[in-house]
Amino acid sequence: MGSGSWSTNVYDAAARYRAASGTDAFAYSDHVTRSAPRSSWRAHQTLDPYGLTVRESRDSAEHPTSLAISVLFDVTGSMGGVPRVLQTKLPDLFGLLLRKGYTEHPQILFGAVGDATCDRVPLQLGQFESDNRMDDHLGNILLEGGGGGQMTESYELALYAMARHTALDCYEKRGRRGYLFVIGDEMPYGKVKSREVRDVLGESISRDIPLPEILAELQRKFHVFYILPAGASYAGNPEVLALWRKLLGQNVIELDNLDAVCETIALTVGLGEEAIDLAAGLADLEDIGSTVVDSVARALE
Amino acid sequence: MHTLVVDFGFGDAGKGATVSHLCATADRPVPAVIRFNGGAQAAHNVVTPAGLHHTFAQFGAGTLHGTPTHLSRFMSVDPLALTAEADHLSALGVPAPYALLSTDRRAPLTTPYHAAANRLREQSRGSARHGSCGMGVGETTAYALAHPDDAPTAGDCSSRPRLLRRLRLLRDRLTDELGPLPAPPIEAFADVCTAFAQAVTLTDEDALRALVRRGPLVFEGAQGVLLDEWHGFHPYTTWSTTTFANAETLLAEAGDTAGARRLGVVRTYTTRHGPGPLVTEDPGLRPLLPEPHNGHGRWQGAFRIGHFDAVAHAYAAEVCGGVDALAVTHLDAPGRCRRLRICRAYGIDGRLVERLPAGPPGDLARQAELTAELLGARPALWETPGPDPRCWSDTISGLLGAPVLLESRGPSRQTVRPAVPRPVG
Repeated sequence: MGSGSWSTNVYDAAARYRAASGTDAFAYSDHVTRSAPRSSWRAHQTLDPYGLTVRESRDSAEHPTSLAISVLFDVTGSMGGVPRVLQTKLPDLFGLLLRKGYTEHPQILFGAVGDATCDRVPLQLGQFESDNRMDDHLGNILLEGGGGGQMTESYELALYAMARHTALDCYEKRGRRGYLFVIGDEMPYGKVKSREVRDVLGESISRDIPLPEILAELQRKFHVFYILPAGASYAGNPEVLALWRKLLGQNVIELDNLDAVCETIALTVGLGEEAIDLAAGLADLEDIGSTVVDSVARALE
Repeated sequence: MHTLVVDFGFGDAGKGATVSHLCATADRPVPAVIRFNGGAQAAHNVVTPAGLHHTFAQFGAGTLHGTPTHLSRFMSVDPLALTAEADHLSALGVPAPYALLSTDRRAPLTTPYHAAANRLREQSRGSARHGSCGMGVGETTAYALAHPDDAPTAGDCSSRPRLLRRLRLLRDRLTDELGPLPAPPIEAFADVCTAFAQAVTLTDEDALRALVRRGPLVFEGAQGVLLDEWHGFHPYTTWSTTTFANAETLLAEAGDTAGARRLGVVRTYTTRHGPGPLVTEDPGLRPLLPEPHNGHGRWQGAFRIGHFDAVAHAYAAEVCGGVDALAVTHLDAPGRCRRLRICRAYGIDGRLVERLPAGPPGDLARQAELTAELLGARPALWETPGPDPRCWSDTISGLLGAPVLLESRGPSRQTVRPAVPRPVG
């Protein structure tokens, strides 16, 4: 009894798990960043926005009342380990939305934001999915870890792509806006630059577009939220918060616990869809044994 | 009906073969083997008819038949040891071992910091060692009891920030108490935990309820009742409830109404790993009954062998609150080793002791007194059923007051066959 027959080296155990299970949350990112020089880094083909037409969220027989939900997160260096945690936490979002019936047919798109002035891969956008393919997109996001150091990233470019290159049945057929969550810790640049649109999306636009203009366009289709999480370099930064509050008003969420990201997004959608009020949502979280109820309460109160 | 499998000795009686057989021969597939105590230090040896051998530690002993395993909240989970065990199962041809495993999120997590602390403590005991396995399972339990709100659990593995916080706290507390721990950095271990959380299914408390509804389960106990934290011979015990109690608690929580059969496993001779009372010990048996899968443990000490101790095993049945049936293993041994006997009573200070009275759980002073008595006890009354396995089975059934449901024989324990249930007595 108890001979302790099985023991292993901590330094290869993680790799052994991944080898055996064939699932590596960061496989694409780690493969690219370890095996190739930075100059050759590219987005995974399923996430590459170059030549982007539209990312569609469509109704189907199975999902007759689709609701588009997008989550884009900043993958620059200032975010520290946050993107990796998000990559492991966000797969729970879909189940959480369904579990309490906040919306019946969510379709989720994951994407990532970098800095077009200096990054190889400043924008990555998956597809709206209602099954585990969304996890594949999440797993294929390249965590470039770049960015400038000037407290600005190319969020505006992502907002442009979401405004101009998405097609949502919830909006087009039913007049209901989708949801867009941007998770980051820095500020957007003041305008969408036509040169960057050409370089990143392969599209030519006649002029630069001021940020408020593209945001207004985007907000016709999406409720737009900005989440500033703990663990990022500029967590709690007043300048960053003030700018986003100027742009988005109440839709700026400070999150003191990254573990609570899915719950926070789910409750925000539940509130937006008028499926719950905040007290009921928090009670739902208690009900499912969530350990982050207090963080969600602080973030949404 | 569910079957609860518990060892009535000091471990090593043959729970692995018993559980494996129950899974292989069930009328319909067993939805899961449920582990309900102990941790990765368990070593349940199973040899298949094809000669494949595996020492089950965290995976349930039905794995080679494709039976899934559920690690309940009473089981300490060791993600490091799990990879080695899974690798070996893959090598034996189990296609995706991790896919067969689910873990209650509340199960305590055994870490390299617990293991290191365990070894430092055991070393400091010198010659008064408890016979620990050195894997930190008892340390895991102790820490979880002392720090219920921030002891790491299996569920924490899916949340890196919380896991890191709890691991740091754990390491720092143990370091404050014991000095530097020879253990790897927190980040390296957290990577393993993250991979673990992605490879196995983490469940909430509903999981067992669903399993219970799907059909009869097999509950696989670890260690043995004579090592039980409350009823064993203190301090030579394990920090775990080794009786049927946890399994019955889990069934009650899952709202089970099907009922369960309590199966006690004994082998035809009594063995013990490491120090502590073993009244019937006979070093002369060792060369006659070679033990291919139980060697001298670096941290536990020697593997010891004695004659069948009916006094101790009847005590085990009594502290368990009774037993519905027995599995008797190693029935080939009496034929191979003619001097093997059954001890029916001890001599203690000139008294003849046929029965050890069960005490209330938790009275460790009483248990320590019992231990002291047993250390001075000698076998006083023998029974010799002879070389016929059937006579051994009948005698053991009579002495322990329960029918024999399963008998096993064969040096590599691969042949288990159901016995004809016999009336008690």
